[in-house]
Amino acid sequence: MELVLSIGIGIMTGSGVWLILRPRTYQVIVGLSLLSYAVNLFIFAVGGVKSDAAPLLEEGLAVSTMTDPVPHALVLTAIVIGFATTALFLVVLLAARGLTGTDHVDGREQPK
Amino acid sequence: MSGWQQHLIIAPIVIPLVAGALLLFFDERERVLKAMISLVSCLALAAVAISLFRLAGGAEGFEGVYLLGNWPAPFGIVLVVDRLSALMLVLASILAIPTLVYALARWHAAGAHFHSLFQFLLMGLNGAFLTGDLFNLFVFFEVMLAASYGLLMHGSGSMRVKAGMHYIAVNLAAALCFLIGVSAIYGSAGTLNMADLALRIGEIEGERRMLLEAGAAILGIVFLIKAGMWPLNFWLPGAYSAATAPVAGIFAIMSKVGIYVILRLSLLVFGQGASAGLGLNVLLYGGMATIAFGTIGVLASQALGRLASYSVLVSSGTLLAVLGLNNGVVTAGALFYMVSSTLTIGAFFLLIELVERGQDAGASVLAVTMEAYGDADEEEEEVEVGVTMPGTIAVLGTCFAACGILLSGLPPLSGFVAKFAMLTGMIGTGVTGEGPIPASVWWIVALLILSGLAALISMTRAGIRTFWASMEGTVPRVLVMEMAPVMLLIALTLALTVKAGPAMTYMEETVRNLHEPAAYIDAVMNARRAGLAEPSGPAGGGGI
Amino acid sequence: MTGEAILVLLVCLPFAGSLAATILLRTDSRVLAARIAGAVTLASLVMTAMLYPAVQEGAKVRLDLAWLPQLGMNVTLRMDGFAWLFAMLVTGIGCLVVLYARYYMSEEDPVPRFFSFLLAFMGSMLGIVLSGNVILLSVFWELTSIFSFLLISYWHNNAAARDGARMALTITGIGGFCLLAGFLVLGHIVGSYDLDVILSSGDTIKAHPLYLTTLVLILVGALTKSAQVPFHFWLPNAMAAPTPVSAYLHSATMVKAGVFLLVRLWPALSGTYEWFMLVGIAGTCTLLLGAYFAMFQQDLKGLLAYSTISHLGLITTLLSLGSPLAAVAAIFHMMNHATFKASLFMAAGIIDHETGTRDMRRLSGLFKYLPITGTLAMVASAAMAGVPLLNGFISKEMFFAEAVETHADSVLDRMLPYVATLAGAFSVAYSIRFIHVVFFGPPPTDLPKPNPHEPPHWMRFPIEFLVFACLVVGIVPSLSIGPFLHSAVLSVLGPRTPEYSLAIWHGVNTPLVMSVIALIGGAALYAFLKDYLARCDDGPPLFRHLVGQRIFERVLVTVSWKWARWLESHLGTRNLQPQLRLVTAAGLLAGVLPLYFAGFSPKPPVLGEVDPIFAVVWCIGAFCALGAAYQAKYHRLAALVLLGGAGITTCITFVWLSAPDLAITQLVVEIVTTVLLLLGLRWLPKRSVKVDDSVALAARGRRFRDFLLAISCGFGMFLFSYAIMKQPVPDAIASYFLEKAYTDGGGRNVVNVILVDFRGFDTFGEIAVLAIVALTVFALLRRFRPAADSIEKPEQQRIQNAYDAAAPERSAGDTVRDYLLVPSVIMQWMFPVVVTFAIYLFLRGHDLPGGGFAGGVTMAIAFLLQYLAGGVRWAEDRLRILPLRWMGFGLVMAAATGMGAWAFGYPFLTTHSQYVDLPFIGKVPAASALLFDLGVFSLVVGATVLILIALAHQSIRVHRVRGLEAPKAEEA
Repeated sequence: MELVLSIGIGIMTGSGVWLILRPRTYQVIVGLSLLSYAVNLFIFAVGGVKSDAAPLLEEGLAVSTMTDPVPHALVLTAIVIGFATTALFLVVLLAARGLTGTDHVDGREQPK
Repeated sequence: MSGWQQHLIIAPIVIPLVAGALLLFFDERERVLKAMISLVSCLALAAVAISLFRLAGGAEGFEGVYLLGNWPAPFGIVLVVDRLSALMLVLASILAIPTLVYALARWHAAGAHFHSLFQFLLMGLNGAFLTGDLFNLFVFFEVMLAASYGLLMHGSGSMRVKAGMHYIAVNLAAALCFLIGVSAIYGSAGTLNMADLALRIGEIEGERRMLLEAGAAILGIVFLIKAGMWPLNFWLPGAYSAATAPVAGIFAIMSKVGIYVILRLSLLVFGQGASAGLGLNVLLYGGMATIAFGTIGVLASQALGRLASYSVLVSSGTLLAVLGLNNGVVTAGALFYMVSSTLTIGAFFLLIELVERGQDAGASVLAVTMEAYGDADEEEEEVEVGVTMPGTIAVLGTCFAACGILLSGLPPLSGFVAKFAMLTGMIGTGVTGEGPIPASVWWIVALLILSGLAALISMTRAGIRTFWASMEGTVPRVLVMEMAPVMLLIALTLALTVKAGPAMTYMEETVRNLHEPAAYIDAVMNARRAGLAEPSGPAGGGGI
Repeated sequence: MTGEAILVLLVCLPFAGSLAATILLRTDSRVLAARIAGAVTLASLVMTAMLYPAVQEGAKVRLDLAWLPQLGMNVTLRMDGFAWLFAMLVTGIGCLVVLYARYYMSEEDPVPRFFSFLLAFMGSMLGIVLSGNVILLSVFWELTSIFSFLLISYWHNNAAARDGARMALTITGIGGFCLLAGFLVLGHIVGSYDLDVILSSGDTIKAHPLYLTTLVLILVGALTKSAQVPFHFWLPNAMAAPTPVSAYLHSATMVKAGVFLLVRLWPALSGTYEWFMLVGIAGTCTLLLGAYFAMFQQDLKGLLAYSTISHLGLITTLLSLGSPLAAVAAIFHMMNHATFKASLFMAAGIIDHETGTRDMRRLSGLFKYLPITGTLAMVASAAMAGVPLLNGFISKEMFFAEAVETHADSVLDRMLPYVATLAGAFSVAYSIRFIHVVFFGPPPTDLPKPNPHEPPHWMRFPIEFLVFACLVVGIVPSLSIGPFLHSAVLSVLGPRTPEYSLAIWHGVNTPLVMSVIALIGGAALYAFLKDYLARCDDGPPLFRHLVGQRIFERVLVTVSWKWARWLESHLGTRNLQPQLRLVTAAGLLAGVLPLYFAGFSPKPPVLGEVDPIFAVVWCIGAFCALGAAYQAKYHRLAALVLLGGAGITTCITFVWLSAPDLAITQLVVEIVTTVLLLLGLRWLPKRSVKVDDSVALAARGRRFRDFLLAISCGFGMFLFSYAIMKQPVPDAIASYFLEKAYTDGGGRNVVNVILVDFRGFDTFGEIAVLAIVALTVFALLRRFRPAADSIEKPEQQRIQNAYDAAAPERSAGDTVRDYLLVPSVIMQWMFPVVVTFAIYLFLRGHDLPGGGFAGGVTMAIAFLLQYLAGGVRWAEDRLRILPLRWMGFGLVMAAATGMGAWAFGYPFLTTHSQYVDLPFIGKVPAASALLFDLGVFSLVVGATVLILIALAHQSIRVHRVRGLEAPKAEEA
């Protein structure tokens, strides 16, 4: 379980990092989204992973069988903020594309 | 937890939020109304900040801890007001008023929702200064940054949008690092509350400790990016010089947020421990590199905007390097310097736009090249009759000179006092009889002096070029509303100079508190909850 | 009036006067400014004089005001005999200069500015003289630099003035910084910045390992200020200043500040070998070179400037010797030089004023026109040359006497007599030249202003006064200057005060012989050089092409401009990729290094508990991630789909690992993000595979580096997360939440309770972020202009429209409508369903997965569907959404809920919870947190819709743009 998840996180991070280092704005935004998936999963994983824990409080349920809720809360906040910033970045890159005419991250094609 | 003054602690966050929200109900066309709301909120903020400053200065029956939702620390989120955060609050609100007034002259109309964004920026700043919870710090960083994105691109234009894109990309990467760092810390320490973390960090050992320190280091990177440490600071000159004048003015304090957090966490949580030394060295040498880079930039920049941005780097570098020394006396000086340089840079950014209004872009290039090709203009006929300067130019020139004096740390303004306060702790009477002075200190001293010199050289170069060489350049039309804020900020630095003694005493107290985290931790962990009548905590308790 | 009060007044009055003059800046009253200046200087002079009784016989007046006491920086003013003498000089000559300037400055000059700067300068100078704390001294020191800059550049409309001023400021500025550093080290050695303490602990200083450091730093300060070789070249260029300024700066004040400081610190620093060598070499070189250069100047002021340099060299040399007698001579010569040099500058000014030129090749035979001025100038220059019965003679005799004495035996010391005599000869030569060329010889031929005449009497008065002083001091020294000099010397040397006599005649001795040689030799030298000098161009032979100024400019420009720019461009970057590379690398290092230093060893992964299905899911996830990375450049849509795949994988993971809330939220966010990206895709440039696929080696190298970075980051995250997952969280706060969630938070869904209650403040900030982003997006898109190549309709649309156009019975856009008929109808019918679902999600949030955010986004999706179904116009005809209102309401709601707690005396966001029975829905938790959540809901709806609409509206705007473009296209 942990192994698979961490490998997954690793791969997502890798692809994300590769993408944000690319020269095209679209690549960067995809990369950032991938990275935020990876990071959200990481935060989530920090709390330790259980596949069969009860998500909600039930009558007479031992607290110990539940997962740590704090990381979940943090992930939720992170997801929201991530969503917001992704949307913003998208619009900014559109605006930049509109104003500069290119989708290169530096607003002009690199001199070859 | 009782008494109205307790609730003042939350005010610096709630006031701007509510103001920002109210502004949304009114149409862009209702400029005056919006301006009024914004202004009132800023004034209220200043009032609150100052009274908190007083209270934090040591008032009877005031505990600087606010338990949000009335949940006890470390479970709920706490806000903490101590001397340092109070200082930052005051600084932010004091800087906000002039910049806002300046913006009211024309810039606030350059795009949509300026005032809301401005308010939210203040909310983010204040939150970052107040919160005592790592993740909550992240949230307020995001509030601050999101608002800064909006403000940076206020007025649009390809320059700003391009700069904005770089700024956002770098900061998004940083935000991800922030999340990794915080969650790693939570994973290894099991808490998010700074004070609680400071308590626990002692007991954490082994692998867990390593993970904790790795997380802390990753977190550190984020703050260094924010503070603009070389080589993580290339976004800063672009962003700051592209922003509209009032925005750049308020940004003057943004780079100080990183410094604030580093100061707070390094002394509260990571003061001791295996990798503490490593961290200090990073600060020390990184800071020095930053000063050097900033100095070079100051010399190399033609456009005043870039010059100012590089001055931001110089001041950040100075602070980082000096904090890296981890010496109480010097740190106090550094705090003084932080206040002084924030006001200076704020004033300078506001001034630049006024000065450049009368200029044509070509003139500056010409002037420099003329200088580069030696004294080509020597042969010109010597007119031995002075020129009567127009009043506007005279005032602008005086302010410009004041900024130059401040940036290069010349007397009589606070730049000199600040530099002296730091230097005397390094090589002056502060270390009398403490044996030889380490080489690193000499290096910092040299860099400080060189940076001052560089500022002097390039400010005179720019000043002469702007005010004397090109007298035929049209006199800019400047409103009192735009001139007054600049003068106010400069006047503040003057006041800071005159009242250097008391100000320095406050800084020393602040540093003393920072070096004894026990009190802070104790205050947070034992903060009293409201309505202790029923032990179950908040009113009502569980339902069924 | 007490002494202390006078001290304060002395420093403050000039600045006050300066301010007063500034206020007159706009008025045209020239005389008033001059009157103010006169009054102030006169008052200062009188006050200083009044203080004399208090400073006799080594007594001193002292005043302490706390400024920054904890750091030892205080406003300490002290006046002793020496300070008194100097203050007299500053204020006295100040008076005369003001009087002179009042007539000198032309009608057009804005004199208020001039006098205001002059007064401020005098104030700073007095500050230096009276400072009893070295830090305060360096404050005033820098002030003199600043104000001299302003004075020199007074005529800033001519370039020479600007350059001269900037050079003066730069050089003295450097000096000032070094001086401050030196003082700091001095303070470090002594333990105090108080001048008296420093003076009293000379032995400690000289014994300290840092002695040389502080000495060098302080000397750089002093020598730059008093224009000693090799820092001398700023002074001649400062001659671009109005003559009164030169007369003031280069006789009594600016340059004297340097030697003043040397005298001040003489007891503390002098007497060592280092002192002798450093100061001595600088002094003698300056003495000789200055005099030599002076001979070959063609500009009157240039000649005087170099002679000033040389005389300062003389003073410095005297101080270097370290013998008390030499010190006496030095102090005495400071006074004398000030008197005759000031008068000479003023005379030169008058000549310039009357004839319109200062070029000695054009001037001649002026005595006929300016008899009185001529006489005065003669006497003054005789004093400069050191002719008997004039004050210059006496101090020069003392100098010669000291030069002959052996102090620290060395080459320098043995050379000194000859150097002295030679320099003496030079000074005689240039003095004679000054007089002979200007006043004698044939009547002038080509003067810019013909028939010059005597100036108004009051303009000449200062010269008369000073020359008179020269005579008096020269003839009856012990009766005139004697007592004052004595108290000055006493205050500097204290017990070491030597026996000295100010008599004119000491009988025939070596000094006298040297003087005679100097006089005769000088006269001869001039006679020999006369003809050459009458023709040669400006500047001395050999050195003519070595202009200090030019070198300085070149160096400055090279270092501070060319190198700086090169460095800036090589140490920094303005491109994004390197920055992100650095950030990632920094993050990686920050993560790795601590682990490495702490000797972290990753546990070998255990393959045992891998769940096959989960593994399969993640294989797909990994494939999607990699695919997205691979496709993002050329196949954006594919990349988007793959990205979605990765998102879904994340959702599944959340479900799998029992986090339904996260799954729901992730899912809705996923949907909205995808839609946004889809809306965005349309505005990006088309890219076909072959375009700009650079196979350049550099590019490959960069790619490879990025690839490695990416790999290592991925691997690092893998190890990090694995390690941390294997690490059970120390249960600090988690269980508290689990226990209290229901009892105190009133909710079964712990995560939601944390969000709206325990950590509601995070959510509070989070919705603020959402609001801000929405506003920013709105503001940006309002100014959005699509790029030229994405204005025309997308290809598919064009084909369809072409088809519509072709078929007669169809109108444009029908095809699209046909294609979308079924889906759009479905979407319209879905509206109520989705809305209900959204509200349901929101309400159940507290107990079951859901909550304000998920609900809000779902609601937004409901609106979004309408836009998709019918297009922007259709949708907005039917439902009017005011997103800003929603947002405002949301924020206010959340804040209000938080503040509600205040009413009950509880802190912000304290909640109260109970259950209410709603028809049909059943038990619903009515925690006040629900109101807060309502705020969240409303804001999320508002923000999301605002973003989506803003983006969707571009499709309308583009029509408008197209409309604008069309005519242009036709013209082209």
